[in-house]
Amino acid sequence: MSDPTTHVLLIEDNPGDADLVRLRLVQGKTPVEVDCVNRLADGLTALTAKTPSVVLLDLNLPDSHGSETFRKVLEKAPGVPVVILSGQEDEALAIKAMHQGVQDYLVKGDITSKHLERAMRYAVERQALLRSLEMSRKQQLEFKNQFLSHVSHELRTPLTCIHQYVTLMADGLAGPVSPEQHDHLRTVLKSVNQLHAMIRDLLEAARAEAGKIRVERRCIALVDLIEHAVAMLQPLAQEKRVGLEMGMDTRVPLVLADPDRILEVLVNLIDNAIKFTPPDGSVMVKACLAEADTEFAYVSVTDTGRGISPEAIPLIFERLYQDPNTSDGNRSGLGLGLYIAKELVNLHGGRIWVASQPGSGATFSFTLPLYSLAKLLTPVIVHNGQLRDNFILVRVTLTPFSRPPRGNWRDTCRRCLELLERCVYIDKDLVLPAMGTAGPAETFFVVASTDLERSNIMMNRIRGQLEACPGLKDGGTLQVNAEAVVLPSSQKARSGAEQVREVADRVTEMIMANLGCKQNFTANGD
Amino acid sequence: MSTEHKNAGQNMTRAKILIVDDDPDLRKALKLRLRANHYDTVHACDGYSAIAMAQKEHPHLIILDLGLPAGDGYVVLERLQDSDALSSIPVIVLTARDPQTNEERSFQSGATAFFQKPVDNNELLEVIQASLQATSARANRLPS
Repeated sequence: MSDPTTHVLLIEDNPGDADLVRLRLVQGKTPVEVDCVNRLADGLTALTAKTPSVVLLDLNLPDSHGSETFRKVLEKAPGVPVVILSGQEDEALAIKAMHQGVQDYLVKGDITSKHLERAMRYAVERQALLRSLEMSRKQQLEFKNQFLSHVSHELRTPLTCIHQYVTLMADGLAGPVSPEQHDHLRTVLKSVNQLHAMIRDLLEAARAEAGKIRVERRCIALVDLIEHAVAMLQPLAQEKRVGLEMGMDTRVPLVLADPDRILEVLVNLIDNAIKFTPPDGSVMVKACLAEADTEFAYVSVTDTGRGISPEAIPLIFERLYQDPNTSDGNRSGLGLGLYIAKELVNLHGGRIWVASQPGSGATFSFTLPLYSLAKLLTPVIVHNGQLRDNFILVRVTLTPFSRPPRGNWRDTCRRCLELLERCVYIDKDLVLPAMGTAGPAETFFVVASTDLERSNIMMNRIRGQLEACPGLKDGGTLQVNAEAVVLPSSQKARSGAEQVREVADRVTEMIMANLGCKQNFTANGD
Repeated sequence: MSTEHKNAGQNMTRAKILIVDDDPDLRKALKLRLRANHYDTVHACDGYSAIAMAQKEHPHLIILDLGLPAGDGYVVLERLQDSDALSSIPVIVLTARDPQTNEERSFQSGATAFFQKPVDNNELLEVIQASLQATSARANRLPS
């Protein structure tokens, strides 16, 4: 350390105690500079202005008492060492504070300059040690991720070669293949695919741990995703002679979720269910509104396999967990699938769990937040308890110039959405989440609290911003138009919530008409 | 497993594809797969020869690995973009590298499509065909 001076922030309201501590500090061998304040609020301000080497803190101040005092200081300056100056009567509290991140405490009557100097020095050292520990933990995590990324790359190269030559043979491009040989090649290919999935899971789990998974929420029909997942896995189920069925609630829930990620979760759960179900058993996928919580949709995958032991249930979503009783020749994989599924569901704000009776199957369930237009709209269309006067529905359509789109079209759409969000007033306009799975043409809708005339300004702003977006400039077209949301005249007499629902319903109808409607967006019964 | 896709220029001159990969085994496998689908192929094993080959052969499409000796895939993409004669050739990146850190950068450097290895052959062939059709529609310079 280049500056030998110890900067002390003394937070102490008793002038006598403050003077005494100051005296002891000055008497010590290390050069010190002391700032003294007598209220917590002033202490917190001082911490923002300048980071001291150490804080000496009295717990009972005019504006704060007891544990609240040190909690606020630690919250404000988590990296600064804190030493508590306690009275005889609150020594117990000071000890408790040490468990919560305070470095040391001194009892006021017993403070000598030697004591004080030593306590401060240790506090500073310990804090530095903690910091370097935290840093090395982060470095290790980073190293692990780099290592996994490297390993994954190195494994993919030979795997690609195996995959290519096996498919060449299986497709008959290297000469005729007998049915038996073809069978063997298919077995090889199946193992190649398993290996591929493991490499993918390894990276994905590392990413989940590092908090690097990105979720793009869209308004999606859960039924479409489930149908997609079931269709993907139907061949596997048939091969194993396991029945795979769906049971959907008639009020099919629309959810706010990333379709790719949720498909991943569904495929994982259904694939597992098929894997652990014996021939002639069945797997049932269900979706409905959650009974306990009306803001969530509920999805479950039930199998008729041998179930999960009670000991395994709390561990099953842990990383690298593998069922020790797997003995029926199933290759269980890395034990990362359910961990990734849990992380993905949690990222959506949902919950995942399992229920099972050993011997009679298992049910994996998860929840996802419902898409509710009324809920999204309320904060922007209601002002001071009153519905705003006019609403406009602005439609922004992005179409790629060529098919397939040149460059990363999804990235272009993502960037356009970000730009779009900058073109509106966040307190009175709302860019709605995109609808359905991402397709080649992307349509965004904005509900704006303005009238048709003034909406021209907004539309021009949108055009100006989006036209300059690089991905769109050289590979797509942009269409922006607006339509007034006309409400039935009866609205005045209704309650606030009903008015919002009416706007939401009207907007929904208009969106459906705009999209040539495939889906019923009122299905959630807002 | 469908094995054969229609070549965009099947009735005319066969479309020519430049395969750039430092792994000779993979180059050969891709060559066999593409020739079975009625494409002609030429090959390069590093960044330097990829550029030289593109200049000499004027392929209709390039399949490009990113991790290459003598100028990696990004260098190749940039050099292609800088050349008036070569910038319109669609480039499909086929790499073992992580898409999270490489996909966007590839597109920014001028790639038409991005695949991580191992790739599904049908998907690759579909994108090859679509890219060739798109360029032929744009510039009308494809086998004719």
